[in-house]
Amino acid sequence: MKSVFYQLKFYKKESILGPLFKLSEASFELFVPLVVAKIIDVGIKNSDREYTVKMCLALAGLAAAGLICSVTAQYFAARAATGCTARLSRTLFEKIQKLDFPTLDKAGISTLITRMTGDISQVQTGVNLTLRLLLRSPFVVFGAMLMAFTVDVKSALIFAVAIPLLSVAVFGVMLRCISLYKKVQGSLDRVTLSVRENLSGVRVLRAFNKQEEQTAVFDERNSALTAIQIFTGRISSVMNPVTFVMINAAAICLLYTGAVRVDTGRLQTGEVVALYNYMSQILVELVKLANLIINITKSAASANRIDAILRLPEQENGTVESLSDSENAVCFNNVSLQYDTAAAQSLSDISFCVKRDQTVGIIGATGSGKTSLVNLIPGFYKATNGEVLLFGENVNNISRALLNEKIAVVPQHALLFRGTVRENLLWGNKNAADEELYAALRAAQAEDIILSKENGLDFMIEQGGKNLSGGQRQRLTIARALVKKAEIMILDDSASALDFVTESKLRKALSELENSPAVFIVSQRTSSIRHADFIIVLDDGKCIGQGTHDELLSACPVYREIHETQFGGAV
Amino acid sequence: MKEKATGKRILSYIRPYFPLFAVCILLSAVDVALSLAIPIKVGNAIDLTVGKGQVDFTGIMPILRDILLMAVCAGAAQWLVSLLNNRAAFGTVKKLRTDAFKKLQRLPLSYLDSHPSGETVSRIVADADRFSDGLLLGFTRLFTGFATIIGTLGFMLRLHKGITLVVVLLTPVSVFAARYIAKHTYSMFSLQSKTRGEQTAFIDEMLTGQKVVKAFGREKPSIEKFDEINGKLQKSSLKAIFYSSLTNPCTRFVNSLVYAGVALCGALLVLSTGGKAVSVGMLTCFLSYANQYTKPFNEISGVFTEFQNAVACAERIFSLLDEKEQTADGEKTLERASGRVCIDNVSFSYDKSKRLLESITVDVQSGQHIAIVGPTGCGKTTLINLLMRFYDADEGTVSVDGSSIKTLTRKSLRENYGMVLQDTWLMCGTVKDNIALGNPGATEDEIIRAAKAAYAHPFITRLPDGYNTVLGENGGGLSEGQKQLICIARIMLRLPPMLILDEATSSIDTRTEQQIQHGFSRLMAGKTAFIVAHRLSTVKNADLILVMKDGNIVEQGNHESLMQRKGFYYELWNAQVQ
Repeated sequence: MKSVFYQLKFYKKESILGPLFKLSEASFELFVPLVVAKIIDVGIKNSDREYTVKMCLALAGLAAAGLICSVTAQYFAARAATGCTARLSRTLFEKIQKLDFPTLDKAGISTLITRMTGDISQVQTGVNLTLRLLLRSPFVVFGAMLMAFTVDVKSALIFAVAIPLLSVAVFGVMLRCISLYKKVQGSLDRVTLSVRENLSGVRVLRAFNKQEEQTAVFDERNSALTAIQIFTGRISSVMNPVTFVMINAAAICLLYTGAVRVDTGRLQTGEVVALYNYMSQILVELVKLANLIINITKSAASANRIDAILRLPEQENGTVESLSDSENAVCFNNVSLQYDTAAAQSLSDISFCVKRDQTVGIIGATGSGKTSLVNLIPGFYKATNGEVLLFGENVNNISRALLNEKIAVVPQHALLFRGTVRENLLWGNKNAADEELYAALRAAQAEDIILSKENGLDFMIEQGGKNLSGGQRQRLTIARALVKKAEIMILDDSASALDFVTESKLRKALSELENSPAVFIVSQRTSSIRHADFIIVLDDGKCIGQGTHDELLSACPVYREIHETQFGGAV
Repeated sequence: MKEKATGKRILSYIRPYFPLFAVCILLSAVDVALSLAIPIKVGNAIDLTVGKGQVDFTGIMPILRDILLMAVCAGAAQWLVSLLNNRAAFGTVKKLRTDAFKKLQRLPLSYLDSHPSGETVSRIVADADRFSDGLLLGFTRLFTGFATIIGTLGFMLRLHKGITLVVVLLTPVSVFAARYIAKHTYSMFSLQSKTRGEQTAFIDEMLTGQKVVKAFGREKPSIEKFDEINGKLQKSSLKAIFYSSLTNPCTRFVNSLVYAGVALCGALLVLSTGGKAVSVGMLTCFLSYANQYTKPFNEISGVFTEFQNAVACAERIFSLLDEKEQTADGEKTLERASGRVCIDNVSFSYDKSKRLLESITVDVQSGQHIAIVGPTGCGKTTLINLLMRFYDADEGTVSVDGSSIKTLTRKSLRENYGMVLQDTWLMCGTVKDNIALGNPGATEDEIIRAAKAAYAHPFITRLPDGYNTVLGENGGGLSEGQKQLICIARIMLRLPPMLILDEATSSIDTRTEQQIQHGFSRLMAGKTAFIVAHRLSTVKNADLILVMKDGNIVEQGNHESLMQRKGFYYELWNAQVQ
């Protein structure tokens, strides 16, 4: 909630004026029964036409004043709500940009997306409703009671009894229903899951002839859902009839007490009517209030979830802005890495040095730590022990901007963004000329993709690159990294979807790059890395071999085994 | 025409509840009548409360008793209506959902492959709900609404025609005001939801690629773009929220004017007739009616939009129910097959304008291992779709043990195949349930043995609850490779006579793959097996290699003969070994 209150400070005027105007409207409404009482007790009783007309005009006047106030209130509330959420959503987005990789992993991308969309919009509804209604409903309920007291204390005591009883009925049913709705939602989720699984797994389920069994499972879940829905419906439908009877019972008490009081001359007929009218106002407002509270609770929960994200630690930024001409581009000194959530080390005691123009191959089984190793180079994650040096400087001390300039990464998952090919490639270097883009595309073996498209570099890529094949996406992400002309290039299993011919051409192009960067190639295939200057073989986070292809074939049994399984001994 | 047909089908779904509806209508009528009579009784009581010493208690007491009785009866009627309504509504949805789900099981894969699954899910889950909400709950609300309007009019006319006229003439103004606002805010709302959609898409894309954004230091441009969309959204939201929130104040204003009008006319009439034609009690009663009168109007107009929605939802579900079902099943049961598979001159394409498989002929002897290789999109997976009869061939026949598969029951045909697909699929449930998918009666020992054979046992024992670990939808936290091992264990448990392995080991590193291969060769011994594989090393030992390109088998033979041919296969192989 803190973040919402903070953003509301920028809309102080709106946040105060909104509820204020709303309360003014409510007070005008509360005067109506009194005016009607005057019509009856003064106008009609004294046969005073002029007075009666005046009072009716007063009613119209109250209505008009109410309209003006409530429109003003709605305007301020809407302004505060949209403004505050726009600011909040921007703050949140900016915050997410500042999170480091471990925090992003922990928070989870899908969670962050929900925070940015569903939760933000729930907060907006909450703020808007709170400013408009939170004060109004209690004000009307208690206002009606207060007014009743000004009319007649003894009759007003009926209000004092009726309001708590009605509240218990309204809130009791609502609270019970909230917990039941959760159960309904759970049952509904199970039904949805059934349908979704039967669509996503249709081939497997049909291959195993599961249709009848699945239908039985669905029937069972569907029946359970129906049963809980009917039960919930039974509870929730209690509220209207019960409150209806209660309010009428209260009215009966009122009429009776009123009659007694009128008989003894302590009250007038019109005043009894006014009390009766106040009673009818209460119920509507109580129901509104209960609904409002449910909504606000939801919004508060959303706001708290947003707060939790805003409290996450931000990525640290090093201060070193320039690097010396060290001979070694990358050095690992006894580096170990253990993820926060993991029970064991993902990398243990890794040491190696890579010269400026060397190519390094990294190979190992799934989960052996290949990606973890290369992720340490740009400082995406921090080594738990040991140090990672870039051009002689500890990576943790180097500023993000400089790291970004020195290192180009092609991630394992070939992800492109909505926009033209050019826009995507310019991510590497926003000032690159078209010739440079074409040169990068050529080296990445991606030029034919662009040449085959009618509008070339202006070809529109859909979200996630959906209108390209996996191999095309991989080649474009390689080109995007090449545009950067960085001194260190990391290819994290980024050629897996390429056929062997294309991959070998790519390898050749990489070795001929003008700026001859240090290149890291992560792969599961020995064919992709056999030409590297040296190869690091990882097994369960440990380096179990370092050397050239030929050295490793003779010295490293695991490497030999990997190679043989791929070529069936056809060395 | 279409609407009529939809209407008829809707009726057929709610027909079992007709008696229930009749009772509902009756009870609603009782509820409305009693609820409307209460203000009159209150008015009567007020008229008996004239002034000091002029209160007729003997008259008032029975009135108060009547009010209590009426309120209790009306309340009971209201409650019963809700209960019956619930029963009808949820019962109908249940039936509709079950029908839709059963339909799903009979739809051909061509339908399921070409329709986004999210859409089908939303038809069966959300549309069914909206249908019952809109139609059934709407129905009673509609009736109650009309009954209230007519009842109120009747009561008011009985009390006084002039004041009734005031109410009748003024009330529609508020309905029109609400309509007017709704109409004019519609475009604002669509602009808001369009902008919100744009923002959501942007957030979704950028956060999904957040690590890439950071790797390229693109945080700033990303924030700038966000600000731009966010600013647009703020503006459109402000408009939509503000203008739409005018509805309530405006209708309330009109109602208040009606109220003032009734008060004026009523009071003046009381004065001019000296309380004979119109009494103070009647005035009170009129004021209550004036307060309530507009409510049913707003409800009814709401119900109509809901009706339209409900009919649209019903149409979507019905169109699903009307989809053509898969071709008829054969009648013969295939007993445990020997594994002789003949593909005779088969042609097939998904899209009739583009030929895919053309006149494929392959004769597979029982126990042979067939490898299918070739570039992406050459028709490898399609061939498997035909073997399993997920799709029917356009021309030619596929036969197993000499019978065309069209003459066999799908169930018995598929029972003879064990299949591991490229896209691994696990259901929500325990690891054990997943392995036992094809063999629910398997004992724990058998399951563990199968898992061991598939080399899945070691990692399963490391899971928090071992074999009883509950996996989320589609495997939850397992890696792609682990999921594949579980899929393989499934087949190991069943040991069917024929196997289909579609790139089954693509996500497993080569050493683990090698281990699985050992398991597979044990499994495949003496069985017919079709293997689609990317890596040539895994298919080297096959009896027959089908080399596919652009929907045709361009070469076939074993590894040695194909290498000697120096054709397409030779090229593929060399590119890999280089």
